[in-house]
Amino acid sequence: MIEELRKKAEELLRSDTVKVVFGYGEGSTPERTRPVFITKPEDVNKLTWNKYCVYNLTTYLKRQETRKLGKPAIIVKGCDAKTIIVLLKECQIKREDVYVLGVTCDGVGEPLATKCKACDVNTPRIYDDLVGEKIENKEIPFDERYAELDEYEKLSEKEKWDFWQKQFAKCIKCYACSSICPLCFCDRCIVDKNQPQWIDPSAHPRGNLSWNVTRAYHLAGRCINCEECQRVCPVDIPLNLLNKKLAKETEKNFKYRSGYNIDDELAMSTYKEEDNQDFFK
Amino acid sequence: MEKLLNKNSFDSLITGFKKQGYKTIAPKKDYKLVTLEEIQDANEISIDHVITNNSIKEFFFPKTEKILSYTIDKNKVEMEEPEGFAIKSVIFGSRPCDAFSLPVMDKVFNWDCSDKFWVERREAITIVTVACDKSDSYCFCTSVGLAPDAKQGSDVLLTKISNDEYLVETVTEKGENLVKELESVFSDPPSGTPDRQVATVEKKFEIDKVKPWLDDNFQHNVWDEFSYKCIGCGACTFVCPTCHCFDIVDECTMTKGDRVKNWDGCQFTMFTMHTSGHNPRSTQGMRWRQRIMHKFKYYVEKFDSTLCVGCGRCSRVCPADMNISEMLEIIATEENQPVSKE
Repeated sequence: MIEELRKKAEELLRSDTVKVVFGYGEGSTPERTRPVFITKPEDVNKLTWNKYCVYNLTTYLKRQETRKLGKPAIIVKGCDAKTIIVLLKECQIKREDVYVLGVTCDGVGEPLATKCKACDVNTPRIYDDLVGEKIENKEIPFDERYAELDEYEKLSEKEKWDFWQKQFAKCIKCYACSSICPLCFCDRCIVDKNQPQWIDPSAHPRGNLSWNVTRAYHLAGRCINCEECQRVCPVDIPLNLLNKKLAKETEKNFKYRSGYNIDDELAMSTYKEEDNQDFFK
Repeated sequence: MEKLLNKNSFDSLITGFKKQGYKTIAPKKDYKLVTLEEIQDANEISIDHVITNNSIKEFFFPKTEKILSYTIDKNKVEMEEPEGFAIKSVIFGSRPCDAFSLPVMDKVFNWDCSDKFWVERREAITIVTVACDKSDSYCFCTSVGLAPDAKQGSDVLLTKISNDEYLVETVTEKGENLVKELESVFSDPPSGTPDRQVATVEKKFEIDKVKPWLDDNFQHNVWDEFSYKCIGCGACTFVCPTCHCFDIVDECTMTKGDRVKNWDGCQFTMFTMHTSGHNPRSTQGMRWRQRIMHKFKYYVEKFDSTLCVGCGRCSRVCPADMNISEMLEIIATEENQPVSKE
């Protein structure tokens, strides 16, 4: 599969279809990979593919430094491809400006990443070309897809509050969670605005709560659960629990799964008469 | 002074600290992380980790701290300075790299004005370091002139000499006083040369070759090329024991407020953003260059000391696997030495 990936990347660069390939390369340790940006056909051997390719490379579509490299081919797993769909729907990229090089994937991470445990996108749902043998995407029931929330949902309101208080106390406000997120693409984040100061910049309980809750809410109905925020958090806050909970509520209430079907209307910016409105009181 | 400490005496040691009025901060395992934090009981101490996730700096320079409170009314402004922030404590089980970061940072916090928050905490806190008996591939203390059993910055150094025993060496008067206060916990050092169990940390680059290259290569392609993968978060700077940039903000209403000092980092776009909208460090390559230049050139010129202790935390936590020692290896490589591009 690595050879196939390299060959494809080389063709794309040689034919000038793209200027750069965003892919995975060898990392600092054998248990790690790192994003690589291949601009010359002779460098395609730097590309690799293995179970440590956890990154969602679509985050580099928002960064000015990597955008400047020219039209990219981007290697996406099924989960990452969901981001491409959201970015298209939210008018952040044009379809013709990105070459989507899908890879089939049967799970990444050691131990297996949580996001892979109930995966129903082993084969990406959007791509220009596919590398790897096609895997029939399974249909996974609702409850199973949100199983990681089972323990959390059993907690009482007070227990949930205590849990998050303890978790958010660890936050150091490094903003790795939003920097890595491909869907946190505002040029100027709300935390950078200080007239008025919406969110306390200090990493104290109030500042940390308002930051973490705001981040999660801005992703409600949008997050595709790539779990990158959770992976990168240097103090190990289980951020995906929040994201996943919001995704579950969105699906339950609006029958919408972010990034799943390109034809679905966005949950947060589309009004439908039949939308559940019980929660307006 | 040399003594011997048995692992079984950790309990009496921590109780002893408490009796003498010290708060104890030690490495504690909490799910996936090992963090330096306040402990109450010796059972909480982790000893089998390479390095703690958080650095020692937060006990001297916290992630957020109030430096002033004020009230404003029609006729006057009243200000109140915080007190009681320097609490008598022992940091037990920090690593030599972390301990060394303290004298390195003393230089900047005592530079043109003395930062009382730093200075008073330095006086109140005693550092008992445990020499590393294991390392990982991110460690590079030996490349920046340190060692896994270096003493600089520690008040007391403990070195493992058997599965249960540590050789105790006092480094400063403060350390000697601490050991004397708790004399009964320690026993006499073994006669002969003890078998010091100290980790091996491979030397990755020659530090002497780094600064001359930096002097010549403010403009170089490598800055951009190396940092395409950087996502511009502040994780590296916040886990770093020697990164010390901060931001000062007022958290206030119309009539009262707190002036707060918060960690800040040069990897953020906003760090150098001018009010006009102009940003002199407009790309991640420039910001990455700043991090390297500050640590291995500017600080060396100003304070005659490298602003890096080789702990490797920045590389361990980096979301995109930016590896600082790899960058320094590139810089210090022989064939890169004479290159000077404009």
